[in-house]
Amino acid sequence: MTSTINRDVREVIREEPLMHRPILEALANGPLTVPEIAEAIARPSDEVMFWVMGMRRYAKLVELREPTDDGYFLYADATSGARS
Amino acid sequence: MDYDALVVGGGIGGMESSLKLGDMGYKVLLVEKEPSVGGRMILLSKVFPTLDCASCISGPKMSSTINHPNITTASSSTVLGIRRGDDGRFLATVKKRATYVDPAACTGCQECEPVCTVAVPDQFNADLVPRRAAFLAFPQAVPKKVVIERAGTSPCTDTCPAGIKAHGYVALIRNGKYEEAFQLVLEATPLVGTLGRACYAPCENECTRDDVESSIPIRRLKRFVADRHYATTDGSGVSAPEPNGRRVAIVGSGPAGLTAAWQLARLGYGVTLYEASPEPGGFLRYAIPAYRLPQDVVERDIANVTALGVTIQTNSPVTDLEALHHSGFDAVLVATGTPRSTTLDVPGEHLTGVRSGLDFLRDVRLGTAPDWRGRRVVVVGGGNVAMDAARTARRLGASHTTIAYRRGPDEMPAMASEVEDARREGVAFEFLVAPIEVVGDESGRVTGLRCQRMALGAPDASGRRRPEPVEHSAFVIDCDAVIGAIGMVPDTGDFASTLTVRTDRRIAVDPATRQSEIGYLFAAGDVVNGATDITRAVGEGRRAAHMIDRYLTGRPLDGFVALDDRLAVVDKATVLSRQKHYTPREATPDTMSLADAPIDFSEVERVLTEIEALAGAGGCLDCGVCSECGQCVHACPADAIDLNAKDQVIEVDVGAVVVSTGYKLFAADLKPEYGWGTYPNVITGMQMDRLLAPTRPFNTVLRPSDGKVPERIAYVSCTGSRDRTVDNPLCSKLCCMYSVKQNQLIMGTLPLADVTMHYIDIRAAGKRYDEFYEQSRAMGASYIKGRVSKITEKDNGDLVLRYEDIENGGAIVEAEYDLVVLAVGVQPNREVETLFTDEHLDLNEYYYVGEPDDDLDPGRTNIPGVFVAGAAAGAKDIVDSITHAGAAVSQVAAYLERRREDDRISRELDTLELSR
Repeated sequence: MTSTINRDVREVIREEPLMHRPILEALANGPLTVPEIAEAIARPSDEVMFWVMGMRRYAKLVELREPTDDGYFLYADATSGARS
Repeated sequence: MDYDALVVGGGIGGMESSLKLGDMGYKVLLVEKEPSVGGRMILLSKVFPTLDCASCISGPKMSSTINHPNITTASSSTVLGIRRGDDGRFLATVKKRATYVDPAACTGCQECEPVCTVAVPDQFNADLVPRRAAFLAFPQAVPKKVVIERAGTSPCTDTCPAGIKAHGYVALIRNGKYEEAFQLVLEATPLVGTLGRACYAPCENECTRDDVESSIPIRRLKRFVADRHYATTDGSGVSAPEPNGRRVAIVGSGPAGLTAAWQLARLGYGVTLYEASPEPGGFLRYAIPAYRLPQDVVERDIANVTALGVTIQTNSPVTDLEALHHSGFDAVLVATGTPRSTTLDVPGEHLTGVRSGLDFLRDVRLGTAPDWRGRRVVVVGGGNVAMDAARTARRLGASHTTIAYRRGPDEMPAMASEVEDARREGVAFEFLVAPIEVVGDESGRVTGLRCQRMALGAPDASGRRRPEPVEHSAFVIDCDAVIGAIGMVPDTGDFASTLTVRTDRRIAVDPATRQSEIGYLFAAGDVVNGATDITRAVGEGRRAAHMIDRYLTGRPLDGFVALDDRLAVVDKATVLSRQKHYTPREATPDTMSLADAPIDFSEVERVLTEIEALAGAGGCLDCGVCSECGQCVHACPADAIDLNAKDQVIEVDVGAVVVSTGYKLFAADLKPEYGWGTYPNVITGMQMDRLLAPTRPFNTVLRPSDGKVPERIAYVSCTGSRDRTVDNPLCSKLCCMYSVKQNQLIMGTLPLADVTMHYIDIRAAGKRYDEFYEQSRAMGASYIKGRVSKITEKDNGDLVLRYEDIENGGAIVEAEYDLVVLAVGVQPNREVETLFTDEHLDLNEYYYVGEPDDDLDPGRTNIPGVFVAGAAAGAKDIVDSITHAGAAVSQVAAYLERRREDDRISRELDTLELSR
């Protein structure tokens, strides 16, 4: 799947508050990487990056300390008590 | 106010200039357009070649700048223009943009940020991550004060005659804050459920999204939060305040009266509503049919008012306003609306079967509707009451319902949606016909309506084309009933002895304050304006309540910010220009359920589902940026936020000017062959600097496409510099070295990453620069000589660079990377061109600020008294910028001292002259 940017960055970022719930729902069963979240909510991973990083910035998500063997960090619901 | 020097731009050059001038004892005004001083340097990770922390070096300088006793810093400010004064000094016009935060009160705690409902790209993180409309520019910002980004009032909010913050509640819904959205509407009116159904939604006509595809469903979103609130909560959730001991009587309990009562009760007034009818609500209760506005919705909205202690006395017509005042009310508001129908004024109007629209609708609401099964009904008129009457007749079983209107469909005053809904419910239309007689039989019952054909002539006072009779065109529409719905007028006869009542029965009051000649008497709504609509009536009620409060507290009758003093509406073209393209969105589904032959009064529109509401709200373009949702105001522990603040424009007198406006970064999308803006994993050097900074947008250096830790990173040097294809033949001087710096930092941050730089040649001309470059090579960075011709993307987001490998025989080679960094060059900041309004500031051939003798007289421009510092005069790294600023400061000091000396000599000569 190509990751070519399809949408204007401003448009994607504007949707961040709207995406909190689906992303947190996707993380309900445990931490996921960005591509895994993208698959779970059926949205492009480059867009999910904006949303995940926005949620991380405002303490909705935390990353686990070490990346996976594939080089991806896992992100968890900040209220889940996951180790950051 | 006078200053020795004005410094324009608070980057490293501007700060250095200000500090040195301040240290010399000169009074300096530093104007910075951003909320913080520091320019680009404070955003960098580290500086080359020492790899010192940029913040550690820049931070103290920023702090010294704004705390220096001789420096006044105006951040979030712009110099609008500079002109020469008569005395040879300069007059500068400076616009201080409102930040909507009291800097003296704001502690920089950022409690406002997480609750803000608007997400926008963070320009201080190179658009890699969202920020909020309420934001601290960056953690090291100086001054450390939050600002709120407001571009103006959003068109939806601006157009609302009730002053409801439509953008605010839409943004709250988008954030899942449904109750907060309900409460935001409550700030304007208690009639949330009513307006969610019966408002004519002028906001939707102004919605900028409508210029792209279709408006977002603003009215239905209001209904969504109202229904959700009422389904889960008893009452409004608003507590009654402590009584303030004053009493206000309101005559009329329609939308204006109820809203005024709500607003006054929230201020602690004891309010009594007097209603002539058996039930409160006015038109809401008796004129709008239940299929549009169910009775229980009106009752729940009214319960919001009574829950605050407002008393409603029904069956209580008021005829003596003075007596009401003397009975213990400090003020009286008349809000009786337009309860009387205009008569058709044609023969036969007395016949059985002729009704006025208002009486007909009222009877239906009171349960005394006629049995019209199988009857033929003609409704005369083209307004909303006519539509309501016609659709109601259909529900009473009328076999044929016809609307007769004297103008054409384009001139109808009814809402287009109401007309369409009437049509869908089987109502027929006869346009360009006017009644001339109601025809009846011997028993006095209606048998038809004789009409005359009309033609449209020239526009009348209302702007609509005047209908003119067509001769010999009379005809009869056979019918059993005629409903006249051609207009409504106030019923103000009883007030004529106390108030000024116009010939059209409207009450005359001050148009701004709604106060009558008798101070304690106010009038508002349709009784003043004539028939309008419930949303305007709500606005009228708000205004009247505000003015009554001002009157009773001894204050001037002004300051009605909600409608009179909003920020200018934002330009829609400006809003649309914020995006290069718009992705089509799925339209919100039609929630109407209309039958050709409706059989009952059940509500015809269903509420949006939560998914529909979120999707609908998600289409909001945040026109004004800040949505005015007010969450920041509630969250701020220092009570520092004032969304009613205004920009200020000041004029200052300065002796000299230092232009230190810095540079612009090359817009990487001007090299489309490199794919920036198309391929997410192609980023700029500034973006990489942010990823490497301690205050970075991600948790570490990650690929923007998927969050992967990159293992193969390439740099493409000279992107947009030394490149005539983009009209920039100049070397930017700093790209090589910041790339080398980043190479080293990446190898420190990601020890397993391979870093390769594709370069034309490395320019390391500076103190210890070449050693720094060699150190990078020694650490393992690869350097390949040859310009990259093209970048393409693979399906997995990896990037393929195609380049000429000059040092290995010139072969065309392709190499694959996880992440590519474009070492973008710098370009002149041409905003300086408009800085001076009466003198021309010369630029050099590359559009940097010109220095006529830059070898021997650096920092001096062609305008005496105007100097340039730092990268505004040409590409410079930090060290060179500081050095150049030092040179400019010397020039400024010399200029100011020369002028002082000249002035002294001039004064002495004048004294000498006088003594002779």
